[in-house]
Amino acid sequence: MKKRTGSLTAAALTLALTTAALSGCSSAPEKETTIATTVAESTTGKETVATEGAKESASTGKYYSADAKAKDIVEDAAKKGKVGNWGLGNEYEVQALLSKYGQNTAFLSQAFDMDGFDDNSILLASAMTYNELGLIKNTYQGGYGYGDTVNFIDMNNEGVAMLEDNIFTTKEFASANPNTVKAFVSASMKGWEYACANPKEAAEIVFNAGSSVSSEHQAYMAEEVKKLVETDTKGNKVTELGKLDDEALQQTLDLAKKYIKLSDSTAAEKLQTLTLDDFRDASYWNDAKDGSTLGKPEKADVSIQLKWLPQAQFMGYYVAAAKGYYKDAGLNVTITPGGGDIGETTAVNSGQVDFGVTWDANLIAANAGGMNLIAVSQVYQRSGLVLVYKKNK
Amino acid sequence: MKKKRYLRWDKQSATTVLYPVIFGILLLILWQTQLLHKLLGADTFALPLPGRILRIIFDNGPTIIENIKATVMVAVGGLFFGSILGYLLGIIATVFPKWGAGGLSIASAISAVPIIAIAPILNNLTKDFSDVANVRSMFAKTIVVTITCTAAMSINAYRGLNELKPYSLDLMKSYAASKLTVFLKLRIPNSVPYIFVALRVSVPASIISALVSEYFAEFIIGVGRQIRENIVLAQYATAWAYIVVACAIGIIMYGILLAAEGALLKGRK
Repeated sequence: MKKRTGSLTAAALTLALTTAALSGCSSAPEKETTIATTVAESTTGKETVATEGAKESASTGKYYSADAKAKDIVEDAAKKGKVGNWGLGNEYEVQALLSKYGQNTAFLSQAFDMDGFDDNSILLASAMTYNELGLIKNTYQGGYGYGDTVNFIDMNNEGVAMLEDNIFTTKEFASANPNTVKAFVSASMKGWEYACANPKEAAEIVFNAGSSVSSEHQAYMAEEVKKLVETDTKGNKVTELGKLDDEALQQTLDLAKKYIKLSDSTAAEKLQTLTLDDFRDASYWNDAKDGSTLGKPEKADVSIQLKWLPQAQFMGYYVAAAKGYYKDAGLNVTITPGGGDIGETTAVNSGQVDFGVTWDANLIAANAGGMNLIAVSQVYQRSGLVLVYKKNK
Repeated sequence: MKKKRYLRWDKQSATTVLYPVIFGILLLILWQTQLLHKLLGADTFALPLPGRILRIIFDNGPTIIENIKATVMVAVGGLFFGSILGYLLGIIATVFPKWGAGGLSIASAISAVPIIAIAPILNNLTKDFSDVANVRSMFAKTIVVTITCTAAMSINAYRGLNELKPYSLDLMKSYAASKLTVFLKLRIPNSVPYIFVALRVSVPASIISALVSEYFAEFIIGVGRQIRENIVLAQYATAWAYIVVACAIGIIMYGILLAAEGALLKGRK
């Protein structure tokens, strides 16, 4: 008994010692860096005061005034090194915006939650209108409840929009199974049409299909996704869902050529030579829209790899499956959710799945690396990426 | 007689080096001539040719060196702090033998925590450390490596300080040596080979944990992070280039350790 208590105290003591030693070890380098950072802090502090004093007279604070210009916000956040993005191919629009305002294109790696924004380690955080922005604003489960105290910079308005969710496959698969591709695009678009007309119902369908988020967030997401599917980069209404908008795709390609940095010189050279024809083929979508030329699918059992977890971002496919549109088209579709580091381009290229949903920039990078992928439909007609910031009270 | 034995050992060591080198060269030839691809059913996309990988490494010298610096700093820093901390824990456990065993089992329990679980948590805990993202990110990564390296060292240091030759402690006692003398003259010298046993575990572990913790770091830098970024962007050749670099770091650091061990433990046994 005595021995037991002895070893228990020993355990507690060693743990205490461990932590003490750990903090002891850290204190030495800490001091050095504190000195360095205080210097940095004081200079940035001055800068902030100076710039804020110049651009706003009514309110002062650590965030941005309600009527601050995008330029001033981007400049300030970039100088402080507090612009966040997830990276992994999602960063090019942010880099384009930073360059537009003459800033260094470095950014902080943002986690897949918004804690960094919440605790101010990121002042200008990346957010998708349909996902993170909702979590920041709303109070439902997982939300941060900022409501109207935040504002955002829209990539579409800044002219640096790059197109996102599309439907893609390999050139090889498309030319071998043209009817399957047409049938899949046609049925998926029916799904998207229904989903955009009935976002609430679509959100429920996704939620029941195995959701990664709460039903309230799904409902919010469905409403926001509808806007991206039905509005183009210039804010005009889109009547033909899934159309390959060449003007917007060209802008995407131009920005991609500028900001996708590839260390492989072969790939980097190929990237610069890519044209629209190398990564999109409108013929399948055109025929699918016609409807009359749809033949019997060569391959009935097909699968689609999503870019992310099951959520209303992909509601069109879930609706098409639930409403039997795929079945009507003679297809048996398996929807494979993504998440984390799943490489949808690799999955499609290797033939594990037949179709995939990805952002056009990822498609361009993959083709530069040697893949032969084509977008057969452009579901999102405008960029859903925004940079969100807090407003001064 | 003695000389002959030395020579024979040299011959043996020559073959132990030669066989793996020949195997490696053979593998590279198979790889470059794409016979390996046929064997594995892979394409040159997922498994790029060595020539292309090497060219990427040579083309991007400065960038790669910058990433190596970040990774090695974290690995070596964590290894250093972790090993010292581990050795101190071993000493404490020896000084208080009653508590020692219990305390060390806790230390090894901490090391059993999968590193992937603690890396993101440490990112959040170290947010106030510095205003510079790179600095606080380095700090978080170093802690991960430190934790990994502490356990191996503490357990081995404890063994080295306590598993003495039976007669040696008695001899010291017969000389009426003080506890401090026993420590300095007997226990610490006795623990030196055990330190290397620990380092043989923690040197590779430090590199692995440095690479993995980079995946979750706030600041995008490091060999491990580049592997991830490039695979997600479907840039397999570049990812492979960084994998090769990561392997080279591991082999070189292990080689340095073996050389140090050979030099320091010469004449022992």
